[in-house]
Amino acid sequence: MKFIVIGGDAAGMSAASRAKRQDASLEVIVLEQSQTVSYSA
Amino acid sequence: MVVRTAEAFRKKSGIDVRTGHRAESIDPGTATVSGRNEAGRPFTLPYDRLLIATGADPIMPRRPGFDLPGVAVVKTLDHARHIKTMLQERPIRKAVIMGMGYIAMEMAEALRMREVEVTMVKPRAQLLPWMAPELAETVGQELQAHQVQVRTGFDVARIEKSGQGLSVVAAGNETLAADLVIVAVGIQPNSQLAAAAGLELGPAKAIAVDRRLRTSNPAIYAAGDCADAYHVVTGQKVWIPLALRANRAGWAVADDLTGKPVSLQGVAGTAVFKVFDLQVARTGLSVAEAAQAGFQPATTVISASSRAHSHPGASPIQVQMVADKNSGRLLGAQMVGREGVAHRINAPAVALHAGLTVEQFSQTDLAYAPPFGPTWDPMLVAANQLLKLV
Repeated sequence: MKFIVIGGDAAGMSAASRAKRQDASLEVIVLEQSQTVSYSA
Repeated sequence: MVVRTAEAFRKKSGIDVRTGHRAESIDPGTATVSGRNEAGRPFTLPYDRLLIATGADPIMPRRPGFDLPGVAVVKTLDHARHIKTMLQERPIRKAVIMGMGYIAMEMAEALRMREVEVTMVKPRAQLLPWMAPELAETVGQELQAHQVQVRTGFDVARIEKSGQGLSVVAAGNETLAADLVIVAVGIQPNSQLAAAAGLELGPAKAIAVDRRLRTSNPAIYAAGDCADAYHVVTGQKVWIPLALRANRAGWAVADDLTGKPVSLQGVAGTAVFKVFDLQVARTGLSVAEAAQAGFQPATTVISASSRAHSHPGASPIQVQMVADKNSGRLLGAQMVGREGVAHRINAPAVALHAGLTVEQFSQTDLAYAPPFGPTWDPMLVAANQLLKLV
């Protein structure tokens, strides 16, 4: 299954990481418009 | 603060992170996302499940002069870097901050630490209108004690260039000189992609999601600052974009996607921020929000001590507590103090999730030792007072 995430911040990276951890067969692609993912404010 | 880099995600987590990739449209019919990469090359990717986690952007008023150099918003790491660069590249003596929410307050503190003169302005009359005037007054005094000028009723009409600096002009033509203008008047959800794809929107035009984070299209989730949530007190949809619920929603999407049962309770609007040496916290509804939600709000404001009377170093903790007259249910709490505020707010937050009445909350067994509070915790002092009014 192909799971695409638009936005690589708190919600996006939390979902991507946990989904991949729980099901290694998932294809997970994160599209992030900036050069930074998962920053914390 | 960068928690983990894109490279680390690619290598360690097996996630294909594509930075510099901007999604421009979603076609639910063909289940594809299209956009462009940094080089301007278009891409189209098919999905089985899609998550929209596009966040929120600062509001930039559409008034003259807001595009001038020296006018900045602050939300992302890049914004902060931009402001830091400006502070290094030219002499900045005076700053005007538009807005008096917590981002504005945090910026005021950061700029004062660099010895920049700070004036905060907002169009409305009251500082922190969601808390009792006595509590807001304490925050106002803290700002004053750190030489932050607070100008309520100052509605910025335009910003003009003035010599080397800027001139911030109010509706009544009063002006403030500034070398830097920070615009912190609020944020708005990035829901344009979702709206263009025909997905339903909720409050503040955030993307409407159910308790499993599904949008109106079952193959598409939304989570984080771009999506709405249920309020645990009102049961209504709200848009309160904060970090914990974004992370939690991300987890919930992953769980739902991988077949685990998911049903998120929602948010209580619990928040805390620092204003110089003060801690300011809230959970649940303010009096005005309670009335708006159809409750009959009763409220009390108390001042208690942060430590037992015999203990040195105590300071006041001010608490406002709100309940519904009809049902006796606890609806919210706001708090200000120099210590013991930030985590104390979590007790009423849990009470809101549990739907406790003020009477039930007043019976809770809260911790006591002289260095940490009086025998009757400030939360219980407030609850005991409020109990007389419901």
